[in-house]
Amino acid sequence: MIRAFFYLRGTTLQNQLLSRVRRLRQPKYLFGAIAGAAYFWFIFFRQTGFKGPPGRGLPPMAEGSDLFPLVFIFGAFVTYALYRVIAAWAAPAAPGLPFTEAEAAFLFPAPLSRRTLIHYKLLSSQLPILFQAALLTLISTRWTFLGGNAGIHALGWWVIFSTLNLHTTGAALTVTRLIAQGVGKLQRQVVVFGLLLLLAAAVAVILWRTAPPLTANDTAHPAALFRYLAGLTRAGPLYWLLLPGRVVVAPFLAQGWREFFLVLGPALLVLAAHYVWVLRSETPFEEGSIAQAEKRGAAVAALKAGTYRLGGGKARPGPFQLASHGGRPEIAFLWKNLLSTQSFFTLRTFAASAGVIVVVCTWLSHGSDAQRSTLSILGVCGVMMAGYALVLGPQLARQDFRGDLGHMDLFKTYPLPGWQVVLGELLAPVAILTGIVWLALLTATLSLGAFRAPVVWLTVEFRTTAALCLAVVLPLLCTLQLMVPNAATLLFPSWTQATRTRDRGLDVMGQRLIFAAGQFFVIALAVLPAAVAGVLLWFAARLLGGEVGSAVMATLGIVLVLGLEIAVGLLCLGWRFEKFDLSSESVK
Amino acid sequence: MIEVTGLTKRYGAFTAVQDLSFTVRPGEVLGLVGPNGAGKTSTLRCLAGIIPPNAGTVRIGGLDLASDPVAAKRQLAFLPDEPKLFDYLTVRQHLAFVARIYGVANHEPLAQTLLEELEIADKADQLPGELSRGMKQKLVIACGLLHGPSVIFFDEPLTGLDPLGIRRMKDSIRQRALGGAAIVLSSHLLHLLEEVCSHVLILKKGEKIAGGTLAEVSARFAQGESHVSLEEIFIRATGGTEG
Repeated sequence: MIRAFFYLRGTTLQNQLLSRVRRLRQPKYLFGAIAGAAYFWFIFFRQTGFKGPPGRGLPPMAEGSDLFPLVFIFGAFVTYALYRVIAAWAAPAAPGLPFTEAEAAFLFPAPLSRRTLIHYKLLSSQLPILFQAALLTLISTRWTFLGGNAGIHALGWWVIFSTLNLHTTGAALTVTRLIAQGVGKLQRQVVVFGLLLLLAAAVAVILWRTAPPLTANDTAHPAALFRYLAGLTRAGPLYWLLLPGRVVVAPFLAQGWREFFLVLGPALLVLAAHYVWVLRSETPFEEGSIAQAEKRGAAVAALKAGTYRLGGGKARPGPFQLASHGGRPEIAFLWKNLLSTQSFFTLRTFAASAGVIVVVCTWLSHGSDAQRSTLSILGVCGVMMAGYALVLGPQLARQDFRGDLGHMDLFKTYPLPGWQVVLGELLAPVAILTGIVWLALLTATLSLGAFRAPVVWLTVEFRTTAALCLAVVLPLLCTLQLMVPNAATLLFPSWTQATRTRDRGLDVMGQRLIFAAGQFFVIALAVLPAAVAGVLLWFAARLLGGEVGSAVMATLGIVLVLGLEIAVGLLCLGWRFEKFDLSSESVK
Repeated sequence: MIEVTGLTKRYGAFTAVQDLSFTVRPGEVLGLVGPNGAGKTSTLRCLAGIIPPNAGTVRIGGLDLASDPVAAKRQLAFLPDEPKLFDYLTVRQHLAFVARIYGVANHEPLAQTLLEELEIADKADQLPGELSRGMKQKLVIACGLLHGPSVIFFDEPLTGLDPLGIRRMKDSIRQRALGGAAIVLSSHLLHLLEEVCSHVLILKKGEKIAGGTLAEVSARFAQGESHVSLEEIFIRATGGTEG
């Protein structure tokens, strides 16, 4: 079996590399590869010349300004690890082990014992684990405040991910066995979430009673914060409560090789105990594995076909009642495309969210200094959220031509002019992104009430006007942002095809980067005339009236220019849609 | 030889297969028919050792599939209706991989013969992404037959094949049976079953409605008529309703 395994993995890797090298003959992959390689080099290997000595890559993350990204990275990793563990234990159906459809088809009827299949799976998971460890080592070598070196970090990551993988494997087998014994989903989830809540409550109580206060010195730089956090977990009941996790993480945190080898023993013991647990949990997992493999296979096929639904492909009522007679056809596209996404993207959800934001922000703005600080943090989050939604949103909300590429021929049979189809297809992602940026804008606007010392020009009147003006402009910006990838779909469908698959590689990453850069460039060009018109009208109105009137005039100018651009864009894209012939494009 | 006794498969509260018993001797071809949801695929998956049954025994060549799965599986091949292949293994590499798993020594000449027989020898160095559905199906068949199984399970074997491929497949099934293989074939194509099967087993809601040679089953449902087609027998046996 071992030979067959290495044959499969080795040949797969070799053919994968060969096919990726071969596809570089196509310019779209070649340029993608160049862009991807440049990005990778820039992120991990560039010699900055600005910080630290040249030739040593990126500078260490040791400044106070590095604190936020570090906390974000650590938070993301802890969330990821917790999610994997919880998902494994609270799985709704028998999880089995994650085999692909091909593996299930070839290996399950083959003369292999169940234990051999488990070993196959454990061996298979080593390749992604080694890749993850290598990638994270590139990142964590900048965390010099932890001590250690690249070798220690790489091995430490390997221990962490291998233990996590064995734990989730053992959990999957145990859950499969429990389900076979008649233990229901609700019983398991109550136990899992109950234990989790208990653990969280215990940690919170211990911290509240024993933790020293977090001072400004503790948050001055990453090393100080790390010392503070490490101190918390080294004393009192937390030491024992978090012991298993500490043992597994200890090799990664070792300061030098001597310490590494000292703490490696206990970590390997935990790893070995997990391995024994996995082998002893051997249970018929094939049904669960096949069900999961089929589910994943269907999702991948749907993704490739552009028919993947975030909602999980279940039938559900429409987001709103579509009038049975009359009504604009664009609204039918909006209705259809909203049905293809998550069920919570409804007017009711957005209205309820807005209500919650208003209540929370109002309560915080009338509270203590601590509450006002929280409100200002919320405001910063709101601004960041709006930025992310505007910049990254169009890549995520794809309920438009990008998802409907396979339905183009059908759309062309509709008795509608091209621009109307284009507009209809754009409406759903525009509505979703507008809802999100409006909520973010509402949060940011209300958070301005946190300023105790009033800024002279930041009056309530001005804040409200500015927010309303932005609220008018933002949907147009969302529309422009979404028109770019949709235009790309109509003009270069084969490129778009490549960027919406789950295909991986440096060249595909590069293609996405090129797309993002292209989008940024086009939007900058489109926004420039509107910005110029807005500024000119602002100054002209300032000569006649106050701040509020100027803001309104500027907004009118911006809306006029952006609206004109969108109208021209719709007509052009509509014309392109009418001429569109998917069969003549090299979509493979 | 396939011996099935009291085979039962449940998914939670739903019983897919209920107390199924039958035997397929070497040289026999058993056609497994039934409406959608009758339990055909569940039966085949249990017989191939892919999923464990809740009750009953399956013996492959005299070996109990539950107590000695590895030895029993060495004798069988399962050919699914939907070809699931490894994206980055060529046709020839798929066969090499299967040869390793089943321990087929010196497999190259065998593989070449199969590829030529199935007319995909010219595609030997291509990846699945470059093959048509029919070609993929042929590759799955070649992989299944490489180790010379004495027991073969076909789940809708003609799906995706062109007319010539269908003819070849039918000939191949007959030849394997003549060579002493015990074959179970699940299909909705009743004319195929009429042409290649020696026996038939009709399932409905997981239970056996009728079983035996084609002549025996025909006699039972012919109601005195002569030359009644398998299609007519199927409709009479199942009452013309869903599984």
